[in-house]
Amino acid sequence: MSFLQSMRKPIAVLVILAISAFSISWAPAHAAMVSTDEILKQNKQNLDRERLTILLDRSEVRKQLEAWGVKSEEAKAWIDSLTDREIAEIVNRIDQMPAGGSGLGTLVGAALLVFFVLLITDILGYTDIFPFVKGK
Amino acid sequence: MPVPAIRCGKTGITFLVLFLTLTFSCAHFSHELNSLLVSELPRSVEIPSVPFYPQEAYQCGPATMAMVLQWTKANVSPQDLIPKVFVPTKKGSLQTALISTARRYNRLAYPIKGVEALLKELAAGHPVIVLQNLGLQWFPRWHYSVPIGYNLAKGIVILHSGKEARRHMRWTLFMRTWKRADYWGLVVLPSGQLPVSADEQSYLSAVLGLEQARQFKGAAAAYTAALERWHSSLGALMGLGNCRYALGDLIGAEEAFRHAAEAHPQSGASFNNLAHVLAEQRRYPEALQMAIRAVDIGGPNKPMYIRTLQEIRTVIKTGPE
Repeated sequence: MSFLQSMRKPIAVLVILAISAFSISWAPAHAAMVSTDEILKQNKQNLDRERLTILLDRSEVRKQLEAWGVKSEEAKAWIDSLTDREIAEIVNRIDQMPAGGSGLGTLVGAALLVFFVLLITDILGYTDIFPFVKGK
Repeated sequence: MPVPAIRCGKTGITFLVLFLTLTFSCAHFSHELNSLLVSELPRSVEIPSVPFYPQEAYQCGPATMAMVLQWTKANVSPQDLIPKVFVPTKKGSLQTALISTARRYNRLAYPIKGVEALLKELAAGHPVIVLQNLGLQWFPRWHYSVPIGYNLAKGIVILHSGKEARRHMRWTLFMRTWKRADYWGLVVLPSGQLPVSADEQSYLSAVLGLEQARQFKGAAAAYTAALERWHSSLGALMGLGNCRYALGDLIGAEEAFRHAAEAHPQSGASFNNLAHVLAEQRRYPEALQMAIRAVDIGGPNKPMYIRTLQEIRTVIKTGPE
């Protein structure tokens, strides 16, 4: 993740250069057809630049999903089924995704304390952690 | 709110530092419930036809998704959904995975937020996937469940959750756990059906997702449904035209773009796309007229309109390729 993050700018520059170089040929078959996406977008400034960013973001999110163990073709189908806005939301929050399990047994004393705190909050009806706390 | 990987199942001891600042959210939900009691909602609802799958460890994402997809008559099991929804190293499922998976089965995925939308959808017979944080802010335990009903008088929500079908959960507890997940919910419907709580922009964005997933038939049905509620909606008309175009239905696309152009004479995009489908039908004089109209209207997409006009002029001069 941190590697990807640190490489983000250099990769971005490279891809922008590459795409600019081929920008004449880089266009879908009906380039001048207005997509539904553009109709729904509020701010239509810098459409071309936005497209580049989104293109980068899609490949980055896909790489991240694959790094998390999602199969390549599933990651592709996943990303392909999301709108530009949804991709942008993921990119904005990707750093805040909680990391996978760690620290098991490192804080046993704290664990006991948390156990009791959660037990009490369960009984008080604030949380729903332990199935054996009845009457919820 | 962060994008949580919903791990649901085991209480992993994953906390790092303990902030013993127990910030309970002591909002009083009772008055909220009272205001809902006097509204037009039925006092008690339970959707009988939602199947239940008990979840395996961490697998509440695939399980809840299978429940709602099967309710929409999609033939799919939680096992089928694991590679699509579950992120192995995060031991959980992300919200966007649920959204994209629904679309891959040609279903509309419409995110909702808040109590009113939830109760309205349940009252309309639509089950909802909700995200809950069963723990506390500093000790999150993310979980997906499927509310299938409620009883306002008894103050309970009825939900398929974890290993328990039709669990009756106290309203206050449900609201506390849901609030910690920012009241996030997801309605999954066969494409062409509208969520009752839908507003135009959010609904069109959800249908755009179907279009993005290349489910053009489903998206076209969904745009058509939008036009029944929001007559002459520009987004819906343009979306319908674009989907029909993608399906190779030039006549249908022409009809939608023409409708858009008539209802929204200031939308250059309608004229531009209309010009395209006319040109593809080799009706060049009409196409030329529409392309000129688009350029005259202008706007942020004007460079595209100019390109369209140039293309059509070239075709008229040199003939189609």
